[in-house]
Amino acid sequence: MKHLILATTAATLLATSLPAQEVTLGRFFGACEDAGTDTTTSTGEACIIQSIINAADAELDGVSITTLPTDWGNYYDQIKAAYAGGTPPDVHVMHRHRVPEFAGLGAIADISADLEAAGIDSSDWAPAALDAVSFDGGIYGVPMDFHANLWHVNMDLMEAAGLVENGAPVLPTSPEELLEHAQMVKDATGQDYLAADFAQFPIGVRLVLALMWQQDANIFGEDGTATIDTEAGRNAVTAITQLFDAELANPQLNYADSQQAFLNGEAAILVNGTWVVDFYTAEAAKEETGLDSYYVADFPTLFETGATWADSHMWAIPSSLEGEERAAALRVLAFINDHNIDWARTGHMAVRTSVIESDAYTSLPHRDEYAGTASIARDTPPSERYGAIQDVLNRELQAIWLTDKDVQAALSDAELEVQDLLDR
Amino acid sequence: MRGGGGKTLSQGQAAFLLLLPFLSAYALFLVYPFFKGVWISLHDWNLLAVAFNPDAKEYVGLRNYERVMWGREIEWSLMAAPFWQGLGLMGLVLSFAFYRMDRLSLFNAIALGLASALLVFLPGFHPGEGGRWYDRRFWPTVGNTLLFVGLAVPGVTITALILAAMLSGQTRAMSILRTLFFLSQVLSVTVVTLIWQIMFSPRQGLIANITGTFGGTPINWLTDQQFAMAAIVIATVWWSLGIAMILFLAGLQDISRDIYEAAALDNATGVKAFYYITLPNLKRTITLVVILQIILHFQVFGQSHLMTQGGPNDTTQVLVRYIYQTGFRDSELGRASAMAVFLFVIMGAFSAIQFIVGREKQ
Repeated sequence: MKHLILATTAATLLATSLPAQEVTLGRFFGACEDAGTDTTTSTGEACIIQSIINAADAELDGVSITTLPTDWGNYYDQIKAAYAGGTPPDVHVMHRHRVPEFAGLGAIADISADLEAAGIDSSDWAPAALDAVSFDGGIYGVPMDFHANLWHVNMDLMEAAGLVENGAPVLPTSPEELLEHAQMVKDATGQDYLAADFAQFPIGVRLVLALMWQQDANIFGEDGTATIDTEAGRNAVTAITQLFDAELANPQLNYADSQQAFLNGEAAILVNGTWVVDFYTAEAAKEETGLDSYYVADFPTLFETGATWADSHMWAIPSSLEGEERAAALRVLAFINDHNIDWARTGHMAVRTSVIESDAYTSLPHRDEYAGTASIARDTPPSERYGAIQDVLNRELQAIWLTDKDVQAALSDAELEVQDLLDR
Repeated sequence: MRGGGGKTLSQGQAAFLLLLPFLSAYALFLVYPFFKGVWISLHDWNLLAVAFNPDAKEYVGLRNYERVMWGREIEWSLMAAPFWQGLGLMGLVLSFAFYRMDRLSLFNAIALGLASALLVFLPGFHPGEGGRWYDRRFWPTVGNTLLFVGLAVPGVTITALILAAMLSGQTRAMSILRTLFFLSQVLSVTVVTLIWQIMFSPRQGLIANITGTFGGTPINWLTDQQFAMAAIVIATVWWSLGIAMILFLAGLQDISRDIYEAAALDNATGVKAFYYITLPNLKRTITLVVILQIILHFQVFGQSHLMTQGGPNDTTQVLVRYIYQTGFRDSELGRASAMAVFLFVIMGAFSAIQFIVGREKQ
């Protein structure tokens, strides 16, 4: 009896004295104050991801999650500084393009041996998703999506210009046709054909990259030689500048302004990512927005091969995490993996085969309109200097659109600088 | 000071003892990091790699400095930057002439002459045939930073001086206005840049709305090459007026009323009094404000980083932002530290020039 009492006391003591494992979490996507714990009704990237995190915090026994304040533009700088200072978050989101840098230096953990115990079935991941988180034979994270550049379409403007057939927009198949369509929209509606953020984030870069890939060219090869000042580079850039020259598009809009122009009904096409599909769907449903009839299309093929810029979001844990902390962090990863369908509501493409094939996924708004995007998704070859290279391209391309820098000069400057970065 | 054992400390010892807490904090948080920075700048030092393996750094001597500031086939000629070099030559001639005409003291003539000589010398470097700078962005970035300082420092100083002169009265309205003008200084750079980004927005901004009512086309302040630098200078002036204004107000209170009254008898009031009495009496304060502003604005970062991201076409890229990107985005801590040391040197030089010139004129 005495032993029993002692044992129960010890057990209760042990159970109650075990504090919840604190898991710190770093992410971008923006802030959502009142996300709640209902993962099935939230809208927009920020609120959907925060509702999933809140739900994990509430539902996972013995795990309590703190979301760290981070900022989009400086996210990787912050994460790197945290790693360098020895205090990285226990769980953090990142892009696949950063894997070579973070995994190469041993910052993030190879979790291939932990997946099964954590209840994460990597065989359910689409092959491209597994590829996204793989590096040097290891698995360095849990993939969450594929995201890509799309053409968001205002069907009313397209209809007015006679560019709708069988309920779908008629999109250009060559740079010449692009100019033609743009002129048709201008003549019929007085509005711009195309809007995009050419002045702030590298959306314009992704446009040009896609047009280079469509010519089976790339900005640098696997051997580390920059190839930007090329025929393909010039073709890609002039396909876009012809619109600016003819005043059928405005290069000076930043991200928020270009989005506003589209929502106000001032542009027939907005080039932006998968991450805004649910947001634009919701906006189009509102009475007061200028955009009423919204359609999502795959990035059209203006040259030989279909291609659009794409990337993946994934979740990783630091290699320094061990024992209880690592187990808790992996449970959070598993929870996020289980909620892949909720994340896909943003407009992103799911990574789990079981989700991709589900009715809940295929019946998401507009999903069937951009079903072709997965097969044309591309990105630049892996490089530890991805961020710096994107910045060089963004700067030189902005110099072309915003300051009338000569195309030839900008491309050759970009090539020199990218080569410098590759050689460093 | 008399201790329990009857020992007395000399004045020097007591001073040292009292200064010790400050000195140790100063050494730990300023002197040590500074020398550590210089040491890092002599290494090939990857931020992440060294964090995971302290041996991953490599001593490279002055190579980081060379890679940042120098290039292949760099030549010097007198006609590389005709405007600046011409200005420098003119400065040389003038400082000599003024010295001969006794308009300048020997000391000031040497200072002005040295500055002019540097203006002739430094812009003269350029890549020759087939050569190029190793880092094509560094010197343009230095130029942008100098331009920013050159616009923001006089902008803040003059505006603050005018405001202080106008608001130095003792009425209630004046004190409310003083508080209002000072309030912007309290805001953090994120708030300031957010406010001004909205103000400058060509779609919903206040400025665009005002020009719109007069039928003007809105200016794309932050994405137009001609206006981007002006935009961040305007935001900066609005933001950092407060401290300068307070310093001027304090300076104004030190000027005796008697002088103004005496001047008024000689018919010197208003602008005349300001020019002949207020300005000369504020000379020390002006020097202080200018030095503080120079040091402050050389370190500009937030306005450029948050409002224009250094764009368009790098026209608002400034040194600290470049250091930050090199260190944290590109993980090249050695290179970034070399740039930081350079920034320290030019900030020190500018402050020294201003300090010496200001003191000499007493």
